[in-house]
Amino acid sequence: MTKTNVTRRQMLKTAAAASLATTGPWWLVRGSHAARAKKLVFWQLPNFTPLADQLQKEQVYEFAKSAGLKESEVEYATVANEGFAEKLAAALEAGNPPDVARLYESNVQFYAAQGHLLDVTDLVDKMRREPKGIFDSSLTAVRYNGRAYGVPLAVNPWPVHARIDLLEQHKLDYPKTWDEFIETCKKIQSPPRLFGFGMCLGLVEDTTDNVMNLLWCYGGKMVEADNKTVVMNSPENAAGVKVIEAMFRTHKIIPQGTIGWDNSGNNKAYQSRQAAFVMNPTSIYAYLNQSDPDLQKRTGLFPVPAGPKGTINLIDTWAFGAFKQNPYPELARGLISHFMQPANYDKIIQSTGGRWVPVYKRLFDSPFWKSKPEFKHFVSMAETGRPVSYAGSPTPAAGEVLNTHVIPKMIQRVLVDNWEPPRALEECHRRIEEVYARNLKL
Amino acid sequence: MPRTTSGTRRLFRWIGNGLLLVMLVWTLVPFYWMIATSLKADREIYGFEATLVPHHPTLAAYVRLFQQTPFLKYVRNSTIIAVSTTAVSLVFGCLGAYALARLRFRGRRLIARGLVFTYLVPPSLLFIPLFAMMSALSLVDTHQGLILAYLGFTVPFCTWLLMGYFRSVPLELEEAALVDGCTRLGALIRVVLPMSLPALAVVAFFSFTQAWNEFLYANVFVNSVEVRTITTGLTLFIVEDVFFWGPMMGAAFLSALPPLVVYLVFQRWVVKGLTLGAVKG
Repeated sequence: MTKTNVTRRQMLKTAAAASLATTGPWWLVRGSHAARAKKLVFWQLPNFTPLADQLQKEQVYEFAKSAGLKESEVEYATVANEGFAEKLAAALEAGNPPDVARLYESNVQFYAAQGHLLDVTDLVDKMRREPKGIFDSSLTAVRYNGRAYGVPLAVNPWPVHARIDLLEQHKLDYPKTWDEFIETCKKIQSPPRLFGFGMCLGLVEDTTDNVMNLLWCYGGKMVEADNKTVVMNSPENAAGVKVIEAMFRTHKIIPQGTIGWDNSGNNKAYQSRQAAFVMNPTSIYAYLNQSDPDLQKRTGLFPVPAGPKGTINLIDTWAFGAFKQNPYPELARGLISHFMQPANYDKIIQSTGGRWVPVYKRLFDSPFWKSKPEFKHFVSMAETGRPVSYAGSPTPAAGEVLNTHVIPKMIQRVLVDNWEPPRALEECHRRIEEVYARNLKL
Repeated sequence: MPRTTSGTRRLFRWIGNGLLLVMLVWTLVPFYWMIATSLKADREIYGFEATLVPHHPTLAAYVRLFQQTPFLKYVRNSTIIAVSTTAVSLVFGCLGAYALARLRFRGRRLIARGLVFTYLVPPSLLFIPLFAMMSALSLVDTHQGLILAYLGFTVPFCTWLLMGYFRSVPLELEEAALVDGCTRLGALIRVVLPMSLPALAVVAFFSFTQAWNEFLYANVFVNSVEVRTITTGLTLFIVEDVFFWGPMMGAAFLSALPPLVVYLVFQRWVVKGLTLGAVKG
């Protein structure tokens, strides 16, 4: 083997070249960011109706014009839900995020905790000063350390989608309690073509939402309001889990296949008329509006039945976030302000046909929200609804619990591995504690 | 009783045909399912029983696809990007492979091995630094940016595959061309490339399908409809937890056609090239 001597100079040259090659792109990025031309960049997640998308686009250009921007200085991008996180991560790393984007629930606190979002407390305060104000429940998601880092765009309620035609056929009313719900399901279902309850039980986010919503009605919760004390392993939660187990195993009102469902499983079950009841955001209702008006006519939207601790509804919140790294924060704030002017805002919300529930209370006075009995319960849901992280707020830790499917794993321990609920809850409790402890250290 | 030779052959043929049939069904059923779903009404798609043949065929999904979405723009963009990536990959791949196969210079082996390592780095590790570079060079949301990014994985593979193939071309033929007055480039174009058509077909097909099907870079580097490709356009048929299956399946079926056509055109060379590449690489 031959031995090669490397001189100090060669070594230094090589090291300099390697340093330049590896750090060059980052220096270039810094330069490009500083030199970014005046431009308004808006990332739009698709709405349910083309009309809502169109209105939103028009409002972006309308604002840009009023701010003295040319059309070429506006970048309106429709970004799919799939791959949104990767796209935003790359844009943030490169120092080139959008000025404004629509963010889901705990993402506001996630990005706020990392220092990426502008403080928009003044914009939210302005909204609160509107006559009748806004629903306080919509603020939980956007507040971080006492300040608002997102502007709540819409309340996203999770009503029970119910087949009222089947209830009428069996001369039944919508059940008021979970016990009645089980009996109703048993009466109207005819498996395998039609099951009573399409409860999502797969290893996905919707399962956490469905399960927690039921557990609340039995007095359970995941974490205390201090966002530190995990209370998953409680007799109340165990009681709720036993009800789910009974619905699945004893009463057989939940189809066995639900343990393999993805987030669209309950949508498909309802849309294919294979489930009489499902708990889901109104995306199903909005879909039916376009694709199956007949089924929409047979559909009612109701609060969840009551447990020993009453009726508690799940809501989540979509919000607009403005990113700090953009060089023209006033444009971003101006655009959000333009969207949230009640007149502009009302047009978009109504064009979604019930998909979005307004955050401004007074907009419910509009005839639109009185036009359909399905909308009747939206106000109370928006007033009293809770985020999935209840009694805590949608912190990054809560987001991690949701995304890592800790609660779905717990329910599958019971339904698939035949664990007793307390044992499954104990394991789940431990995992959630780990997540919260880790996030508190960050 | 001992089986005759022709009997054994017949048995193997039957087994072979049976396996081929299974593979054929395995390959074609997804295509059929896409077509059938795209021709069904939503009610039928979400019906209790899955129907193999649409009961009430409708072109509604295609009408929506062409009238309410910029699908044709997605097709145009995918075509521009895939064809350009293929062409540039072929040029760079040929030149690089020829240099590595024929010329003697320091670091040749290191570069050759480096090509493989470059190819092995997953895009999920590269997309953030690449986006940073694209952003710095104002190449975000441009066809050129996406083409450059795709060259990052097509050129190493093409070069590696062609390098193995070029080595199998007899050196004497090139030497004869050089003696007759050809330059190196002339020898490559007039002698080596015509003899390497199967390998060129393989790398062209590979580059085209890779660029056509790529999702991650297309999703991260592109914002506007004017540059968006089919793969990212397809995801817009998923709105939150609702899937618009009809138009999505229609778009997926139509987007599978161009690589199929490219494959059929180059089929003869592709099969030969794949076999030879495998042996000589």
